[in-house]
Amino acid sequence: MNKWWWLLLIVLLWAALGFAIFGFQPAQKASAAPLPGEVNRIVSTAPSLTEILFAIGLGEKIVGVSNYSDYPPEAAKKKKVGTFWQPNVEAVIAAKPDLVITLGFSQQKNLAERLRRIGYNSLTLNIKKISELFDAIETIGTATDMRVEAKALVSGMRGELRNLSASAATEKKVRVLFVVQREPLRVVGRQTFVNEMIELAGGENAIGPTLHKYPPIGAEQVIACGADVIIESAMTGQDLAKQKDKAIQYWSRFKNVPAVRNGRIYVIDGDTVSRLGPRLCEGASAIARCLRPGLFAR
Amino acid sequence: MTELLTPKKLVVRIGLAAVLLVAVALLCSLIGPESISLKRAFAATQEQGAINPDYEIFVRVRLPRIILAAIVGAALACSGVVFQALLRNPLADPYILGISSGAGLGTIIAVISGLNWTLWGRSPIAVFAFAGALGTVWLVWFIGRITGRAHVTGLLLAGVVVNAFFSAVIMFLTSIAKSQQIHATIFWLMGNMTEEKLAVLWVGSGCILAGILTLYFISPRLNALSFGEDDARSMGINIARTQTIAFAAAAFITAMAVSLSGLIGFVGLVVPHAVRLVSGPDHRQLLPLSGIIGAIFLVAADTVARIIVAPAQLPVGVVTAIVGGPFFLVLLVKYSRKVSWVK
Amino acid sequence: MSSIIEVENLSFSYTPERTILKDLGFEVTPGTFLAIAGPNGAGKSTLLNLLCRLLKSKSGIVRIDGAAIDLYNTEELAKKVSVVRQEFVPAFEFSVVQTVMMARTPYYTQIGFETKTDTEIVNEAMEATDTAHFASRALRSLSSGERQRVFIARALAQNTPILLLDEPTSFLDLKHQVRIYDLLKTAQLEKGKTIVAVTHDINLAAQYADVALMLDGNCGYHTGKLEDVFSLAQIEKVFGVKTFAAKVGEENFFLPLGKFAKDRGIINTSNNTNKRK
Repeated sequence: MNKWWWLLLIVLLWAALGFAIFGFQPAQKASAAPLPGEVNRIVSTAPSLTEILFAIGLGEKIVGVSNYSDYPPEAAKKKKVGTFWQPNVEAVIAAKPDLVITLGFSQQKNLAERLRRIGYNSLTLNIKKISELFDAIETIGTATDMRVEAKALVSGMRGELRNLSASAATEKKVRVLFVVQREPLRVVGRQTFVNEMIELAGGENAIGPTLHKYPPIGAEQVIACGADVIIESAMTGQDLAKQKDKAIQYWSRFKNVPAVRNGRIYVIDGDTVSRLGPRLCEGASAIARCLRPGLFAR
Repeated sequence: MTELLTPKKLVVRIGLAAVLLVAVALLCSLIGPESISLKRAFAATQEQGAINPDYEIFVRVRLPRIILAAIVGAALACSGVVFQALLRNPLADPYILGISSGAGLGTIIAVISGLNWTLWGRSPIAVFAFAGALGTVWLVWFIGRITGRAHVTGLLLAGVVVNAFFSAVIMFLTSIAKSQQIHATIFWLMGNMTEEKLAVLWVGSGCILAGILTLYFISPRLNALSFGEDDARSMGINIARTQTIAFAAAAFITAMAVSLSGLIGFVGLVVPHAVRLVSGPDHRQLLPLSGIIGAIFLVAADTVARIIVAPAQLPVGVVTAIVGGPFFLVLLVKYSRKVSWVK
Repeated sequence: MSSIIEVENLSFSYTPERTILKDLGFEVTPGTFLAIAGPNGAGKSTLLNLLCRLLKSKSGIVRIDGAAIDLYNTEELAKKVSVVRQEFVPAFEFSVVQTVMMARTPYYTQIGFETKTDTEIVNEAMEATDTAHFASRALRSLSSGERQRVFIARALAQNTPILLLDEPTSFLDLKHQVRIYDLLKTAQLEKGKTIVAVTHDINLAAQYADVALMLDGNCGYHTGKLEDVFSLAQIEKVFGVKTFAAKVGEENFFLPLGKFAKDRGIINTSNNTNKRK
């Protein structure tokens, strides 16, 4: 069958040409990482990363941020490169970055890989715990020649947190139910950084260990948890007082929960506790104030 | 097309379609969330050290995607043509014999096992999806073969059973997986186009082109097969060999397409029909033209997916379903009125 | 002259309880017209399928042109035997000329196209079957008679010495029945083809066939020259129906008689008035 030999020939030629062009390992064409001193254009794909960059003094070198990077206010003026969940690779490239910093969950990790495949430098950071945050800040510092500033930021934050937990250590632990969503009811579980903040502030999660990080819970568990304090994180941009009223109304049905009985329902600014970033201490302090209003009144 | 096909006519038609493909590809490469211009892209290539974003976007983001869409579209359309011929059923598509559930199973196993290696630059998901798709097809083929005489019916039934079983396994695994993994699986299965390395595109297009050429070589036999296995055998066609080659090649290019870009539906069902309406049922012409039109269709669909909710991206499978769904409905009505379902 | 079809001790059963053919044996000389007749379920179509190897039997031998049928591969067998079956409409809309050309598929060039010889053969076949004038029409749009002629054209285009037909005129009107048989007879006489036709129509077969094979439905059979096999006694016995035999000119004619036959007189005299050789 003549034509089959021809086909085989074509396939072999195609393969040979492929090897000739690409070599035997279609390895990542990793371009050399830029020297830390040469990083002048940075793109950040998450609000928390943007905050870190500003906090160590790299604000001016940022050329692209994700859509809701709104702190500090200067961040909001930067060029947008897509949302937190769906970064836009073209906009990132259009910003001509030397370095793209992303978080570690799958969509952003994908983006970082795609960029690396096309020859751009990206840095992927897993920031799920407070210790990882400190590591990430130092990594960014190393990559951008801002080691000193990064170390300073980290030690400053460590110090603040140490003071906070020292003050709270002597008291009895307060049982906290930290609510992230009311309908359906979702709370913060024990494997989250918010939980770490709660413990630093002298509290204890009213919910025991769970499979999910932010477990949905039912009325039974609310009644059983015996929370002394209920904290809700406010939705961005909304009136805190109004939200507190709504919260009190919602929780009034759980009359036998200590927090409801004693009227200890609080609503705090969401951003400082949902973004694991430089404002960590602000968030932890806000939580501490809810737990021991007397102790931390400012 | 009712007259006989000649080599000259075929070459001319393929040539025209190819020109159309190039034109569409070029046009689509200029459309995207960022506006770029070819002039800017290729003007400043002399500048030392400066990065030209237009060039970068054009060459590194848009072109690879368009090439990927073209080869996946061609693979799916050609595979659809062949499955419709083999099963003598105008409503067959490349996934009908278990490829979709096989790929899905491979995907979720890869995701759950949390493997991190790469094989020739392909992620574990891609490799497992490929293996899952091919393995399932072989299983269906094997089951179908042992049912004896009513071969086509046997294949279809085996496909239904295997699909049902694997779907159940997938559901079970999904229920015990972590949400992150579920999200990754579903996202991958919805069909997606990303930029791939040129080497991957080279291998992928080589495999798919080889598969399409193989199918072209046996397309006269597929013509004869349309009259039923008995008639084709009497005309001197070796049924078993033709079916095996056709099945293997079509399954291979489909598995390749699925491993490159997930499960994209409707291309393999709708494009063969659209092309058949214009070009007639002669597979020597239907096959290559469907391949090219399939490429054009998917390139266009991907472009729509890229820009319609920019900067977010729709999965391209959504666009093909929105276009393909109504078309499929029309087909269903048209065919149910015609002569009874063939044996 | 050696036989072009030889069948020896052929037995076949679909299931162990139901034997269709038992120890069947006959020979066909090249260039003859063989009619195969018999009641329903006697195994006529089965025999035809065995002759084109759609079915394989475990006992007995079938030889085509001197060689055992199992020794041929599909392509070689298709160069000896072509088959016209009862109607089949494909899933896709092929035109007449495309359908007939498919018979030449094994002869296509490497890139899959027909040669000049193929085109000539196809044209000839279409002229012979009077189907050339609707060459471009879709198969689906033709009448049953026209379609049947197209399938015969396709079998002729295959250019084989043996042509097998399974009830070629079962759905056709009178005119087309005759035309089809005329066509087959012409192919036999002018081209020397061997025609084997399974038929329900005894009378038409009697007009055209040279030899006959009658399967009696109980694994028995009679074979030989047409006049010998199609005798009144045989027909009445095999088909189990009272029959009136007559000679109209030179043509023999058999009429099955039921309870409501109009001229009762014929029934009583039928066996006496018909003295056939």
